[in-house]
Amino acid sequence: MTIEPLVRMTSISKSFGGIAALENVDFQLLPGTVHALMGENGAGKSTLMKILAGVVQPDDGMIRKAGRTVQFASPREALNAGISTVFQEHSLLANLSIAENMYLGKEPLTVLGSVDVARMERNARETLRGLGLNLDPATLVGNLTIAERQFVEIARGISANADVIILDEPSAALNAADVEILNAQILSLKQQDKAVVYISHRMEEIFKICDTITVLKDGRNVDTVPVATIAPKRLIAMMVGRELAELFPPKPARTESEIVLSIEGLRLTPDSPPCSIHLRRGEIVALAGLEGQGQRELVRSLVGQHAAHEGRVRIGSRELALPLPEDHGIRMLQALGVGFVPEDRKLEGLFLDLSLAHNLTIGLHSRHFELTPAGSDRDVIANSIRNLSIKAATPSTPVGTLSGGNQQKVLLGRYLALGADILLIEEPTRGVDVGAKAEIYKLLRAYTNAGGAAIVLSRETLELIGLCDRLYVIHDKHVVAEMPAGQATEHAILEAALHR
Amino acid sequence: MSKVGRIFFPANSRHGLWTIPLLVAICCCVGLAISTADFVSRQNVLNLFAQAAPLILVSIGQMIVILVKGLDLSVGSVVSLTTGILSLNAPFYVTVPAAMLNAAVVGLLNGVAVTRFRVHPIIATLSIMGITQGAAMFVRPSAGGTVASEIVALVSGELFGIYMPVIWTIAAILVGWKIVHGSRFGLHLFAIGGGETAATFGIAEQRNEVAAYVLSSCFAAAAGIFLAGRIASGDPNIGTQYAVDSITAVALGGTQLAGGIGSLHGTLIGCGLLALIANGMNLLNVSAFVQTIVKGAILLLVIALQPRKNIGL
Repeated sequence: MTIEPLVRMTSISKSFGGIAALENVDFQLLPGTVHALMGENGAGKSTLMKILAGVVQPDDGMIRKAGRTVQFASPREALNAGISTVFQEHSLLANLSIAENMYLGKEPLTVLGSVDVARMERNARETLRGLGLNLDPATLVGNLTIAERQFVEIARGISANADVIILDEPSAALNAADVEILNAQILSLKQQDKAVVYISHRMEEIFKICDTITVLKDGRNVDTVPVATIAPKRLIAMMVGRELAELFPPKPARTESEIVLSIEGLRLTPDSPPCSIHLRRGEIVALAGLEGQGQRELVRSLVGQHAAHEGRVRIGSRELALPLPEDHGIRMLQALGVGFVPEDRKLEGLFLDLSLAHNLTIGLHSRHFELTPAGSDRDVIANSIRNLSIKAATPSTPVGTLSGGNQQKVLLGRYLALGADILLIEEPTRGVDVGAKAEIYKLLRAYTNAGGAAIVLSRETLELIGLCDRLYVIHDKHVVAEMPAGQATEHAILEAALHR
Repeated sequence: MSKVGRIFFPANSRHGLWTIPLLVAICCCVGLAISTADFVSRQNVLNLFAQAAPLILVSIGQMIVILVKGLDLSVGSVVSLTTGILSLNAPFYVTVPAAMLNAAVVGLLNGVAVTRFRVHPIIATLSIMGITQGAAMFVRPSAGGTVASEIVALVSGELFGIYMPVIWTIAAILVGWKIVHGSRFGLHLFAIGGGETAATFGIAEQRNEVAAYVLSSCFAAAAGIFLAGRIASGDPNIGTQYAVDSITAVALGGTQLAGGIGSLHGTLIGCGLLALIANGMNLLNVSAFVQTIVKGAILLLVIALQPRKNIGL
């Protein structure tokens, strides 16, 4: 006996401005399954799901929901048909409370026609409890951390009482413990015979919780297979269309080169014990640990974006006392040859409306006096695009239209073009597909082999182990352990972080 | 932050900083009560209400537009045109609906220009202001005419022993409260002002924005009816000050001009404070020109002193 699919999308096609995003894609969702949708960025996963969620309308093709042909003109209609989406972008509104965000557009009303805040908050609290969250639903979303926001977003998707739930990179901002809670929640949805579409770049999670995988490449179906029958290596090969010999580039043998950056007596808060960190030429050093333990603050305090309590930084022969001034800390460090690559490339890193070329050279311009005529730096741009293999139609393409991987490369390229000696990189591959990840790792390694040095922090521990030479484990705002990458395992890092 | 600090800088609120203007208003009251003999007189308090009522009406509408990241410069010309229409030689049951209909059309034009044609709110409402002001001049080239006696009665005198401007003020507050803080529409205004993503929640952004502009014009028309009744005639220049005054009052009450943060009670406090300042300067015999300078300075100062860093926006 075959189970009737909950959703059947047949030969869906969609193009944007003449470029085909999807061509004749088929997709089926069975009740009681978790279905992974995989592919590199730009493969069409998000477009396919936006069509199912009513955000985008297909040019061609048919959607059947529970045996009936449907057409969604808006997210509202899709939601009414039982399809709820947790989008990849952070779409919550900062000036509304958690409860208001969860029930926006479908607020319960009192007899007088006002919004029934009490009922809304009661229901929201229950849903949040189910996710293991003890948040006050009256809290404004603007006061939440990124991980909490992500959970609220998930809670919103679940509270819609839909039978199809689309999760677009739900775990990108979560740490390991939170991912566990999310996974448990997904399994419980599955037991309620709902269908979950799961989009993620994290392999381990896919293999842990999904039943079926559909792989898209360049807007076409590659294959749909049960998870049990496929090995991770084969899956990557399907996504990129070639076997990835090695995700991480080889590490050169360690030599004791000179220290280019050292931090002494750093105390992030008045209560934390002092700690020190050093970085040698040619080295990539990782700051690992559970999320929110101070890795980010540590890196940011080096550029004045976080006010550390005290500490000294030595870069080459210059010594600076922390905290650095917030308004020109980044420029001070840039003058010393240190580039800071922020995590949120869309908000903090790139000028999305400006061209790729502008984004690459803006660092060069920032070194000149304001009235100096701006040269075109054509060779710098051409070199960067070639060396970083940035895929864009022309150098004048707005950077916001590029894929995540290419955006990240542009951001890195800006600091490479500056000839920075040291890079401080937050989340080098956040929201970037596997193929681009490998390229970025290779770029970073080539950069350090050529005499650069980098401090990297990432939520993906495997990435840190694979990419870096040495790891510092941060816990509770200070360094608790240091280990060479050769000895580091996820287990060892967790041990170090928790058992002190 | 200390408990007191949290009252003045509420981190968990989208109502903006309204406590500080409230304190300033109280200080103004105390100061004026001490320094001038007339401030606490019955006549002066009634004057204050009569001055504040039309400003409150216009400002509530202005705030609704500002909440959705807009700005309505045409409110003053709508006030003037309304007095012009009301002073035409016709019974009130013709002029009042005509004035309201006219306001709704003006608001609709504003809203459509801003949403459908993506004209910047300042430019859109500035153009419509020119058109409306021209119409006001056309209808009544100079102050004069007579307003139906029913309307005059509606704004002067008392009802059940309550001074009419007070009743107007209370009615405006109740309607404004219901719209902004007591309805789904109000919540959606905040949602639209709060970010780019309101549409993904299934909120019809354009329709709500147009409705905001229509409401703003209608509130301005209500202020026009009130003023026409007060002066018992029409005046094409009576509304000139209301665009700047209403924006000042709204900003003074803690509503952020970038949208998504604000409150009705803040706006009321802003109106009260502005009326107090004008009233106080009158009592202290400050020249009208200096008063304009002071108001301009307040607007600049208030907006400069309201950083948008509260609650992560």
